[in-house]
Amino acid sequence: MSSFSRSAQQWATFARSWFIIDARMQPPGKIATMCSVRLQGKHKPIYHALSDCGDHVVVINTKHIAFSGNKWEQKVYSSHTGYPGGFKQVTAAQLHQKDPKAIVKIAVYGMLPKNLHRRTMMQRLHIFPEDELPDDIRANLTEELPQPREIPKKLSDYTQEEIDAFPRLWTPPEDYRMK
Amino acid sequence: MAARSVLRSVLSSFTGLKLGVSGSNVGVLQRINVPLVSALTVQSRGVRQVVEKQDGKTTTIEGHIQDLSAAAQPPNPEAKCPIYRWNLQHRYNYTDVLLLSQFIRSDGGMLPRRITGLCPEEHRKISICVQMAHRAGQSSTCSSYSPVGLLPDHKPKLPEGHVPKRMKQQLNRYLTRYAIDTVKPIYKRGLKWSKKRMPVGHPVLKDNVRYGFKPLYTKH
Repeated sequence: MSSFSRSAQQWATFARSWFIIDARMQPPGKIATMCSVRLQGKHKPIYHALSDCGDHVVVINTKHIAFSGNKWEQKVYSSHTGYPGGFKQVTAAQLHQKDPKAIVKIAVYGMLPKNLHRRTMMQRLHIFPEDELPDDIRANLTEELPQPREIPKKLSDYTQEEIDAFPRLWTPPEDYRMK
Repeated sequence: MAARSVLRSVLSSFTGLKLGVSGSNVGVLQRINVPLVSALTVQSRGVRQVVEKQDGKTTTIEGHIQDLSAAAQPPNPEAKCPIYRWNLQHRYNYTDVLLLSQFIRSDGGMLPRRITGLCPEEHRKISICVQMAHRAGQSSTCSSYSPVGLLPDHKPKLPEGHVPKRMKQQLNRYLTRYAIDTVKPIYKRGLKWSKKRMPVGHPVLKDNVRYGFKPLYTKH
């Protein structure tokens, strides 16, 4: 803004901010794109690949991530230990059981540019399976990002007035029982 | 006792005879009548609630006419299917639980089409959306004991004090096309020109109204 001094303006432009994303009931791929954009610094007009302008991103509730379709059973994460017979394939459900942070971590890792900056960017990504955050990270947070997917309401979350206000589409015949 | 049982057997035999003699005629009539009754509103003088009052030796049985004026008139009353009557075709999804809950039984299954009056395509779409809504929300790898999905849990309650041997894995999902136990992992995904995709949603809902520019991806 024009009212700030030049030094304050410069400091605000080049400061490294901390973002927080809540991954509850969200697809991990969409969370990962948001993370990778901010880790690289591509959300800033002053972006340059060499200028190290990426920000920190904190992802919480990764244990409650939601995959669309049947990906929990179909998606397979493969790795090789390097030794013969060391090819391991685990489904997303099994990997999530072993480590609830791994799916988001692997997704973000695959979306970052494949160069040496990737490791430093991954160090700036902080993933937590639940709501609990360490106090020093909580003190650094500046902005909360909106969730990419709208969480649908369950039938138990609707009030009785809303359920009654919805019109009945069809009338059952009088002689029909067993609803 | 014996007289009653004899009477019962006679009555049952009579009903059997009636059905047997005029079975073909009655069947034809029923086939003609049933669609009319279920699809359109029944013409009646009014639904009455029967109230019994006892004053000593006199019993008064009254029928109170209930004012069942239609809460809202459908915008398109001439259509046969309830979805077309309310102009909801191509406008609903698995998230519209208030709509879907009107077509399900108490145990979570779909009501028959001849009762609800839905046309075959909409019945199929609604049953697919109901399946997706049941699987959406939270679910687990094994059968769960906690509330599951967007629609209320219809599973029978287990005896109290029952402790499951293994902790069930709670996994959130949405737009699941196939049943969870039937799907196998894709160990070899293939190359770009012949990839084995993971289906999401259902192609039957591809004609739904979309207000954005992005196309609907069913193959991920």
